[in-house]
Amino acid sequence: MTLAQGEEGKTYLVEKLSLAQKTEKRLQALGMTCGTKIEVMKNKNGGTMIIKMRNTRLAIGRGISTHIEVRS
Amino acid sequence: MPDLGKAEREKHIPQGIEDSNAVPTEGMTVAFIGNPNCGKTTLFNAYTGANLKVANWPGVTVEKVEGAIDSHGVHIHLVDLPGTYSLTSYTMEEQVSRNFILSDDVDVIIDVVDASALERNLYLTLQLLELGRPVVVALNMMDIVEKRGMEIDLHRLPEMLGVPVVPVSALKRRGLSVLLHAAIHHKDRTHPDQLIHDHPEITHHKHNHHHDFAMVYSDVLEDKIDQLRVLLQAQYPDLQNYRWHALKLLEMDQEITAKYPLQGIEAVVDRSYETDIINEKYAFIEEIIQEVVVNREERVAATDYADRLLTNRWLGIPIFLAVMAVVFFLTFFIGDMLRDYFESAIDSFSALATSGLTAVGAGEMLISLICDGIIAGVGGILTFLPNICILFLTLAVLEDSGYMSRVAYIMNDVMNRLGLSGRAFIPMILGFGCSVPAIMASRALENKTDRYRTMLVTPFMSCSARLPIYILFSGMFFPENAMIVAYSMYLIGIVVALVCLLVLHLFQRQETENILLIELPEYKQPSLRTVWISVWNKVKDYLNRAGTIIFAASILMWFILNFGPSGYGAMNDSFGAMLGKILVPFFAPLGLGYWQISLSLLAGISAKEVVVSSFAVLFDGVNINSAAALATLAASMGQMGFTQLNAYCMMLFSLLYVPCAATIATIHTESHSWKWTAFSVVFQISVAWVITCAVYQIGSRLF
Repeated sequence: MTLAQGEEGKTYLVEKLSLAQKTEKRLQALGMTCGTKIEVMKNKNGGTMIIKMRNTRLAIGRGISTHIEVRS
Repeated sequence: MPDLGKAEREKHIPQGIEDSNAVPTEGMTVAFIGNPNCGKTTLFNAYTGANLKVANWPGVTVEKVEGAIDSHGVHIHLVDLPGTYSLTSYTMEEQVSRNFILSDDVDVIIDVVDASALERNLYLTLQLLELGRPVVVALNMMDIVEKRGMEIDLHRLPEMLGVPVVPVSALKRRGLSVLLHAAIHHKDRTHPDQLIHDHPEITHHKHNHHHDFAMVYSDVLEDKIDQLRVLLQAQYPDLQNYRWHALKLLEMDQEITAKYPLQGIEAVVDRSYETDIINEKYAFIEEIIQEVVVNREERVAATDYADRLLTNRWLGIPIFLAVMAVVFFLTFFIGDMLRDYFESAIDSFSALATSGLTAVGAGEMLISLICDGIIAGVGGILTFLPNICILFLTLAVLEDSGYMSRVAYIMNDVMNRLGLSGRAFIPMILGFGCSVPAIMASRALENKTDRYRTMLVTPFMSCSARLPIYILFSGMFFPENAMIVAYSMYLIGIVVALVCLLVLHLFQRQETENILLIELPEYKQPSLRTVWISVWNKVKDYLNRAGTIIFAASILMWFILNFGPSGYGAMNDSFGAMLGKILVPFFAPLGLGYWQISLSLLAGISAKEVVVSSFAVLFDGVNINSAAALATLAASMGQMGFTQLNAYCMMLFSLLYVPCAATIATIHTESHSWKWTAFSVVFQISVAWVITCAVYQIGSRLF
């Protein structure tokens, strides 16, 4: 599944990132790598969401959340 | 050491950049670096106060902030680097920071770390340690950590990192002197202090680097690093830090790989090891967190509660609109209350000047220049200072509290429909303060099209310089509903900006990538000092404009209005009247076909406040600070056929037409294109003309 399908309040593990290089590097610098735990705080229908990762809250757009593969 | 006198001791208190009395014995440069939102700016401000020099790094649009202080007998030059999460070469900010740190210009790096988000902040720290330059860690926001009932082992952390760790509170100004002291003493330490490792699995690699480096990688990577080091040493004998360069080659860093082509590299670097390196760094960070953070809590912090409401799917936007309504209410209501005091002060000053000048026997012309030209023009603008102060104050509070980045999230879906990321909304809000920094803030947008579009519509957001126009005209023509009329200008500005974005999006449809990515920092109590410095800089800027552009424009207006082809004489035959009359046909369809109005709008391009200041000069030094005089002016304008509708159109055109000269200049520096700058000017004038024309034509038929 992709992160965009994640439910509010649940925690997921990152499996794979498939984004444009620049965005991917920025996410990696923030600590999003394979196996990182991500808690979904808010998920609007569109996939615009607030996540908590390594104790940091991030707002991400649909273009990012649909390209992050996760498992629960 | 002999006992220092009081004056001597005071030198140790951080002082401003201009203080050159104390002769420093030696100088050094300290660079501040840290994640965005780590409190770096607050810390930097705590040292330098408002004495900052803001410029761009040579050749790039990345901000460079500098200051200097004398401390512990050393003259310290401070440089604030852009907030960043990493030191790769993927963005301009990171490249600039990295190259500056690697250069010999920096003696010590102060890495500002947000103790309440240690995990993420340490990633940058580990990268900095690898640069092989002296690093001192400033552990900021310890108060938040304590408030949450957590503790950080300040004894263990430096043992694991190999560099001094100084707890500071930028907000409460604690630990400032200690931090600088550590920086001075650490100036030449490029090797880590004693490292004490206690790794769960110590490997028995033939090169045991655990005594030399804080960050030691897995055997596979360490092998490769060593192999690359040998190759580099042979081929580039003058290189400074082999380990860092080897790591960058392993990551296939664009800049370093191009700069140091290495023979035999293929055998070692068969792929990019960047992800491995990142993962191992974060693994080490987890190890650090396990050891040094005591009582690591998982409970929902206050921020989570606040976010439940403020970023709620349904309530987010209404709350945001309410917040902005409060901002404008404070600006108008409290600002107006304070304005009364300013007005009476300037009144009495003007009266004093007139009687004083008459007493010393000054000529009529000089009295007119000073009282009707300069005091009426510049003084008229100064009375709006309270409103503007409050506007900037509230915006600074919103920014410092952490709410502004939530707005990017709240508005993301709306902005997406217009082809932009929610982040583009932040420059637009800042545009309520001043268009110049707002346009600069559009740098944060990654996509070039997004940036250009944001720059194009940001000036429609009603900046503080337009406030005097609304206050003057709505007060004169809509005394009952002045606040509503003024507020409507703000709403129209937002709507016009959004509609323009929509039209642009429909015309030039681009796939919306929707790659919003923004950190939502913890909400915090805004720092008084940070807010004050931000407001003071804006106020200084406003006063500066009043003293320069508006001063000059007032004098110029007085001249062209009092002199004509036949010399000093009636205003109707002046050069100004001639110029204004040329413009009348352009403004007539908008209900603004009066030469005085045309002329003031033309003058307003220098700075929007000039519309008001020149108005004061135009109507024979009318005292725009006195209610009675304004009522008379409104009546006499009414006789000219200038009614409420005309006044509304006047405000509308002022809202929408080209921003000031400074904004045009900023658009040029940011876009590097005269063509684009010219386009944006023509675009804004056209939009202003078409909308105002429509309102006037429809309105004059209805009423």
